[in-house]
Amino acid sequence: MSLIEMQSIIKSFKNIGFETQVLKGISISIEGGEYVSIIGPSGAGKSTLMAIMGCLGRPTSGMYSLDGEEVESMNDKQLSRIRNEKIGFVFQAFHLLPGVTALDNVMMPLMYCSEIPKDATERAKAALQKVGLGHRLHHTPGQMSGGEQQRVTIARALINNPKIILADEPTGNLDSKNGAEIMKVFDQLVSEGRTIILITHDPKVAEHSNRTIRLKDGLVEEDRYHETVQKHEAGISGPAAE
Amino acid sequence: MKQAFRGLRLNKTNTALMTLGIIIGIASLTVIVAIGEGTKKSVLNRIANLGFGPDAFSVYAGAGRLFFRKAQMPTNLTLQDADDIAALPSVRIVVPRQRKRLRAIYSRNNTSTRVYGVTPPWQEARAWNVADGRFLSDQDMERKSKVAVLGATPARNLFQGIDPLGKSVRLGTVFFKVIGILEEKGVTESGYDPDNRILIPLSTSMSRMLHQTYLHSIRIQVLDPGQVSKAMEDVTALLRQNHNLSSLAADDFRFVTPQGIMEWVNKQKLAMNRMLLLISTISLLVGGIVIMNIMLVSVRERIREIGIRRCFGASRMDITQQFLCESVVVSLFGGILGVGLGWGISAGLKYMDWIPTQIDWQPFALSFVFSTLIGLLFGIQPARKAAFLTPEETLR
Repeated sequence: MSLIEMQSIIKSFKNIGFETQVLKGISISIEGGEYVSIIGPSGAGKSTLMAIMGCLGRPTSGMYSLDGEEVESMNDKQLSRIRNEKIGFVFQAFHLLPGVTALDNVMMPLMYCSEIPKDATERAKAALQKVGLGHRLHHTPGQMSGGEQQRVTIARALINNPKIILADEPTGNLDSKNGAEIMKVFDQLVSEGRTIILITHDPKVAEHSNRTIRLKDGLVEEDRYHETVQKHEAGISGPAAE
Repeated sequence: MKQAFRGLRLNKTNTALMTLGIIIGIASLTVIVAIGEGTKKSVLNRIANLGFGPDAFSVYAGAGRLFFRKAQMPTNLTLQDADDIAALPSVRIVVPRQRKRLRAIYSRNNTSTRVYGVTPPWQEARAWNVADGRFLSDQDMERKSKVAVLGATPARNLFQGIDPLGKSVRLGTVFFKVIGILEEKGVTESGYDPDNRILIPLSTSMSRMLHQTYLHSIRIQVLDPGQVSKAMEDVTALLRQNHNLSSLAADDFRFVTPQGIMEWVNKQKLAMNRMLLLISTISLLVGGIVIMNIMLVSVRERIREIGIRRCFGASRMDITQQFLCESVVVSLFGGILGVGLGWGISAGLKYMDWIPTQIDWQPFALSFVFSTLIGLLFGIQPARKAAFLTPEETLR
């Protein structure tokens, strides 16, 4: 059984009588440890697909199982638990809690565990150190640069040790240098065996992955495996990740 | 809980506004309850100090309400009535009275006091001894002597340590010789002072002071408590006859009895409690609506925060709890401040002697319960609204 198994997923939105079909029957399966990019022009349904993959929304029809669990029949509490334990989100717009320190931001997902771990603070500190922000524990998002903020979101995504990282345009709001650093962090996460699903419209970003799924008009246009390019970027000095 | 505090700290303006709403609501509740209790207590005390035993009642001139009547004085209760009542077989003591609030003056001191024209049996009826000197005598009555027996309060205020006996005190425009001082009963908690009175012979009061022949009231003491209702019937029949009332006319006098007082007090309590309840409910409702409005706005402003939390595993329950917690914390906090403010205002009113207030633990308990309830009640709607946004739409 694959980690992610989607079969003929359809998602449509109703808008004052009009029904728009955004996803028109998507079937994808992704194994654990894969590094997948989902690309496509805007309006192709990337974000909607990610919402469904991340259990943030439900498909109108179709079958979706995540790590062996049937998702579409779950209630809100069960979906929340799945999001909490199995998925880490990274967003283009960071989506950090404003006015809250990096440490507390990273700790936030732990507060929604069925049992709040006693070592929450230590784990959050370790996660921040891992992304090279050991010196920024008590800074609020407003006091950090875009690159730093994005690294905080990665630390937050990792804090509960999820199987899947869902990243929606993680480099979209960053300059090329910071973007490259973030991509390096992702490359490293893959080498640790995590599954990364990267949503982007930038083919250069997609080159980091070893599988690219191209969406167009709500359908899978292309799904191919390819070589990664992470070696090319080895020369650029990354964040003090190690 | 911690999340709630953080949320509140980050939205200081909203928090301040919500707190203010609750503060005003709870403060007014506290003040109103304090004033209500204070008024109630002072009324009850005043009544308790009419000094009735189970065997006594009074007839007052004029029909209608028991207390707090218009100042207009009916003129139909006479000495003849008192004499006739005294002739009834069940009656032991009858004390006809006149009463007026006057300024008493000695030397350069003056004080406001109640002057009663009474007959000598007053002392036996009230079982109130003189501490010094003597009480009014039958001779004083006959001679219409200008003599006065002072309560402890005017004695102290006017004479300030000098022995008042034999001194001449001016009541209104007439001078009286002090012949006795009543024993001190002491001021009651609510501030009613039974010692603030001066007694003069009824005859003197009628012809030399008030220049009126009618009475304020007649106090009647029966032989034994079981005869009170019988005596009241007799007195009613007698007075109706004396006053030439036809069988259709209403009484032109009224009774004050221990039982009547209790009924009256209970009625007053009920009315007062109803009023308090209404006003407090309104003020708390206003506070609650303020909270609800601001929480709803807050949900809109923090829609992104809700979305983020949902992404990382917050269930609807978690979000509801967070917002409920916030509104309850605000309400409780506002409640505490409100009680403090209300307590301050009540104490101020009491200190300035404007309105009698009584500060008890009840308004405090009430406020805490109410503020928590308000937080829950008016917090639920915004909290549910927050929780039922799908994470998808909150992050758009």
